[in-house]
Amino acid sequence: MRIDLEWVLENLDRIGELLLEHVYLTALAVGIGLVISFAFALLIRDRPRWYGPIIGGTGILYAIPSLALFALLTPITGLGTVLTAEIALVSYTLLILTRNIVEGLRAVPGDAIEAAAGMGYTRVQRLLRVELPLAMPIIVAGIRIATVSTVGLVTVTALIGLGGLGYLIVTIGTQRGSFGLTATLTGITLAVGLAALADLALLALQRAFTPWARRRTATQ
Amino acid sequence: MIEFLGEVAAWFADPGTWSGRDGIPTRLWEHLWISGISLAGSIAIGLPLGLAIGHTGRGAGAVVAIANVGRAVPSLGLMGLAFLLLLPLGLGVGPLPTIVALIALGIPPIVVNAYVGLREVDRDLVEAARGMGMRGREVLGRVEVPIALPVILAGVRTTAVQIVATATLAAAIGGGTLGQLIYIGFNVGDQVRIFGAALIVAALSIGTELGFAWIQGAAASPGLRGRAYVPVEPAQVGRGGGEATLP
Amino acid sequence: MRTNRTFVLGAAVLALVVSACTPGEGDSPAASAGGESQAADLPSLTIGSAGFWESAVVAEIYAQALEDAGFTVERDLELGARDVTHPALVDGQIDLMPEYIGGYLAVTYGGEPTPDIEESLTALRTELEADGLVAFEPTPGTDADGFAVRQETADDLGLATMTDLAEVAGDLTWGVAQECAENPNCGPGLERVYGIDFASLDVETLAACSTAIAEALNAGGSTEDGIDVAQVCTTQPEIAGFNLVLLEDDGGLAPAQNIVPVVRQEIADEAGDLLETTLNAVSVLLTTEELTNLGAAVILNGESYEDAAAQWLEDNGL
Repeated sequence: MRIDLEWVLENLDRIGELLLEHVYLTALAVGIGLVISFAFALLIRDRPRWYGPIIGGTGILYAIPSLALFALLTPITGLGTVLTAEIALVSYTLLILTRNIVEGLRAVPGDAIEAAAGMGYTRVQRLLRVELPLAMPIIVAGIRIATVSTVGLVTVTALIGLGGLGYLIVTIGTQRGSFGLTATLTGITLAVGLAALADLALLALQRAFTPWARRRTATQ
Repeated sequence: MIEFLGEVAAWFADPGTWSGRDGIPTRLWEHLWISGISLAGSIAIGLPLGLAIGHTGRGAGAVVAIANVGRAVPSLGLMGLAFLLLLPLGLGVGPLPTIVALIALGIPPIVVNAYVGLREVDRDLVEAARGMGMRGREVLGRVEVPIALPVILAGVRTTAVQIVATATLAAAIGGGTLGQLIYIGFNVGDQVRIFGAALIVAALSIGTELGFAWIQGAAASPGLRGRAYVPVEPAQVGRGGGEATLP
Repeated sequence: MRTNRTFVLGAAVLALVVSACTPGEGDSPAASAGGESQAADLPSLTIGSAGFWESAVVAEIYAQALEDAGFTVERDLELGARDVTHPALVDGQIDLMPEYIGGYLAVTYGGEPTPDIEESLTALRTELEADGLVAFEPTPGTDADGFAVRQETADDLGLATMTDLAEVAGDLTWGVAQECAENPNCGPGLERVYGIDFASLDVETLAACSTAIAEALNAGGSTEDGIDVAQVCTTQPEIAGFNLVLLEDDGGLAPAQNIVPVVRQEIADEAGDLLETTLNAVSVLLTTEELTNLGAAVILNGESYEDAAAQWLEDNGL
């Protein structure tokens, strides 16, 4: 078994396609998960009693293996459809994202909230202009974890007939003669690379949202 | 939908579902023993490593590296890799590649949690123990580990759930387990079987999660039960989401 | 402003999602040099394929040939198994797909194909008509499920045909696809035609028709656990590559597995004769040997579908 970079170059088109599919499925899941988790977090903010049930519910979903969750959704949303995959993928992001958004909002210092009230902000203004920006570091930390998780989970969608890097790793990996190992390693490397890249990009975003933290350390 | 659930119930009631190579009992047992061996392997390798690093405080960089790699490498990738590497050696057939991959997958949470658990033990207690004349191993065994136990067990729980969940994917590399039923179902388009098998897998995973949560709670020393320890989330397939946060 | 930062985040996520939308298919390397005036009248087609190399290569060959003839072709290759590709064809998500007569008839339509190509094709065509589909002329080449053993095993046990294998079936470890027990051409077929008691066989499941299973077979001689018989596809280049012996199907288990281009009737009507003649001109040249050579190009030489297809068309003067 050898590793053949030439094969990668020769089949770059196909590999690129699979990578793009993977990115698409990941981004879609995290994006939608973010919206839903945000809604959950706001609900919990107003009605704290919902924290337990929501976290418990998403926690149970989280414990179900991905292949099984795809399978459970199949009779409802179709065999091997993007919808089936995405509903499952979104579900997996909910626990982390909801928890982090709630934590982030809870971590906002009381002074800041009082100051906002003092300035006459409405609740929405307070949320958008004071709470969210201050909660961003924790929220983005959650997005990072969710994204890295999702990149890994999307590989499993190949087993239900969707493409992505999982197809490269398993299907092409077992079907291409001596290039199989190259294909599998390429798939794994791209997945890890994608996760690392997304993580770094989000980390940069996280830092961009907290210029005051940097200023503070600069003056210490 | 009701009709469909009726078909699923009929599938469960059919004796054929419970017999043969791809019957539930065979595959369930396979799932359990493969998971068990892999968990044992992860603990056997990961625990000494994590305890050594945590006790001495050296090698933190290695821990961070292990944690990050463990989190980022997709579990399906590990399985595919193990399969392809063992295949030319004549060892690719059967459960071995799956077990190798699962052990590799299971090591990071155990190492990380053992390390973090030990690091969080109050240094004063360790000093006091040393002052009482205890030597390294004794300090570890009598003071550090008991205090760090909840966190260590959280790592074991994470790994256990992760292994049981990921074992489902073994079917893709010919490793069988309950996932085989789901996998075949997808290949032949049998939605009833897909759903039924998934119910069993889900039940098994949730059961494992709850079971180990109970063990974790019960094993914590009574004096520590009230303590808030690092919150851990249930693991999922291939993700290290349950590790304690690294400092 | 603080507010804008939140929106920037949202926009960034949205932009990422939008920019990663529907990955485009590989561009066709063959420019349509002919510049036929009919190009404007010809419908554009989407060609699909099943999730393995042979289906994809043949689809790519059809695609390039049609482009040379003036059609505009989009590819949606490696969609998956029949439970995905068949609805895609019926619904119009794809317009053309290379299919295997026997497999299609048996798996999708629950029919009972035989080794007789005329019989099976007629039966298939009848079924397809009801779904608004039509099958053109078949290829002379076939790709069926077969069983192979290592050279040493064949020599030691004197195996040349499936009937020979049936006699020693219980002594060997079989490597078969996960769903073999339910595939009429595999488990039940082995029982029906060769009297092999499949349920009692020593079986390991692996992906049939893959390099993996051929490799497992090849390596199986050196260890205790390993397989001695592998379910392969008859055009797999690994058979020659690993010096394996494909056992002759003397009992006629395998149905007619020639490839036919299956097209939506609507598109066939719109496109007229050109579609059919172009496809048939290609199909007639796809012998079993040619299919195996294509396999060698893609699997043993690592060529992309596009290149292998382009090379084949060139070599065959199309």
